[in-house]
Amino acid sequence: MIFSHGFGCDQNMWTIVARAFERDFRVILFDHVGAGRSDLTAYDPQKYASLDGYADDVIEIGRALGLRDAVFVGHSVSAMIGALASLRAPDMISHLVMVGPSPCYVDEGGYVGGFSRAQVDELLEFLADNHLGWSAAMAPAIMGNPDRPELGAALANSFCATDPEIARQFARATFFSDNRADLPRIRARTLVLQCREDIIAPECVGEYVHAQIKGSDYVLLDATGHCPNLSAPEEVTAAIRAFV
Amino acid sequence: MSEPAPSEDLDDLYENAPCGYLSLAPDGRIVKINRTLTGWLGTAADSLLGQPIHILLSFGGRIAWETHLAPLLRLQGTVQELALDLLHADGSRIPVIANAAERRGADGGHLFTRLTLFRAVDRRAYERALVEARDKAEALAKGQHETSVLREQFIAVLGHDLRNPIAALAAGVRMLNERETLSARGQLIAREMDAAIGRASALIEDVLDFARGRLGDGLGLARDSKAPLGPVLEQVVDEMRAIAPGREILTRLSLDRPVDCDRARIAQLASNLLGNAVTYGDPDRPILVEAATEAGSFILSVINGGVPIPPAARAHLFQPFFRGAVRQSQQGLGLGLFIVSEIARAHGGTMEVASTDEQTRFTFTMPLAPA
Repeated sequence: MIFSHGFGCDQNMWTIVARAFERDFRVILFDHVGAGRSDLTAYDPQKYASLDGYADDVIEIGRALGLRDAVFVGHSVSAMIGALASLRAPDMISHLVMVGPSPCYVDEGGYVGGFSRAQVDELLEFLADNHLGWSAAMAPAIMGNPDRPELGAALANSFCATDPEIARQFARATFFSDNRADLPRIRARTLVLQCREDIIAPECVGEYVHAQIKGSDYVLLDATGHCPNLSAPEEVTAAIRAFV
Repeated sequence: MSEPAPSEDLDDLYENAPCGYLSLAPDGRIVKINRTLTGWLGTAADSLLGQPIHILLSFGGRIAWETHLAPLLRLQGTVQELALDLLHADGSRIPVIANAAERRGADGGHLFTRLTLFRAVDRRAYERALVEARDKAEALAKGQHETSVLREQFIAVLGHDLRNPIAALAAGVRMLNERETLSARGQLIAREMDAAIGRASALIEDVLDFARGRLGDGLGLARDSKAPLGPVLEQVVDEMRAIAPGREILTRLSLDRPVDCDRARIAQLASNLLGNAVTYGDPDRPILVEAATEAGSFILSVINGGVPIPPAARAHLFQPFFRGAVRQSQQGLGLGLFIVSEIARAHGGTMEVASTDEQTRFTFTMPLAPA
């Protein structure tokens, strides 16, 4: 079972949910190149200009570990990264769990993604401005958090540290992606987990994904916002467990 | 009697604090906001309560909140120094710096997320100016570095390409001398050509050494600790005696320990120092070459009499293209002492100069074996 984080954070997003599956699955967590504690020197702006570069990395990880019929759990943009990987390596990934997926963030024709092109441009501008807050060097010092023991040793590290320039390029690759045409080709068993009041991936987008992937399951969570893996880990865990 | 100090009103402190206060429910909805903040926003608190925090944020801020800041808060419990833009009722933006912390109940349940906000208009402008200045400086430095690499490559290539025609000239003059019957005048011209070619070759070698020293990798050394150094130095002195037959050059060598050095480079160093002593020293006074191994070091000094080097000039002696202003008639590029100091540096050694009315002494010191 591979857990893949989305834009803006790192593998720590999955710590709590992943732990629930450690007994029954071989659990794999990783940071996408450019995020968390990945090797920043491996970042190649051309390779990672589109989601294909990230999907190639997933396949490479799967090959290195000899994975077959794995469950790929992808949050946010990683849902599509997993979908692309499953199309290219169908033997490797048999099940897809998409948490807050969106195949296309920008509205186009009759399709509602929730974003206008100008808004995505504004986001990129914001990331350029907010370079200090996103800088790995400026990642806030962590004072320890004794009331959250479930996060354990991870607290010794800085979370979600991202090189600001890479964050901007990942945002561009994410929010200008359009993988709608790939959805009907997905053969892996798929579960779509949709949150309420998610401004990144609104309900209509989750329903669209569900409708486009033949035979997929769809669960509307009670959780609100875009990160149910953190805000409602029990609900996410239960939904995944029922599916696998 | 002074008036009793007024007691602080906590409600008033909250509402009219010199910073914005904002409390969110776990689902991100606004549950409390102070008057300072609503004043900045140009909106009444009533119309904000119960709304998601998104309505206060610019679009980019909303995405960052959902994808980065909210997860960070969940993971860490607190996030400091966020740069956010708030939206004023009229659509304009208010740059703020915010600290945020989760407030949890006794059972560990998430009660609120509290934010403290400070206006940061000037700070943001300053940060932008800093980033722009940094980008500009980086671009400039990159350009300069590229230019300097090209310049030094140019010098190195030029030096190499000049060697071949010079070698052809040298061979031609040698053939004329050895195999042709020249008139007395022809022989004189050939000798002068030979000397001119020798000077040109020496200049080219100096330029090449300069380029090597400045290309970053420094001078390469072929160290040899076994071969004796004394004969090498004697040969340098003999060559100089041949070039300057009128000058008295004394040697005092006491080398009883092996010296792990590049002998050709040490010969070059000694030759450059000796050449300077011949050129700049008082021709009526002898030049002394001292070399000794003592206390783990190899020490080589070249001493001459004459006009002392002015203190101001001493500071620049070892810089490239520096020529003493003492006399303008001297030839050369001003690379001799720069190369001497590069050779010293490559050996982990030092160069020192002492100059008085009595004598001018250049001293090279290096460890007998590399550290």
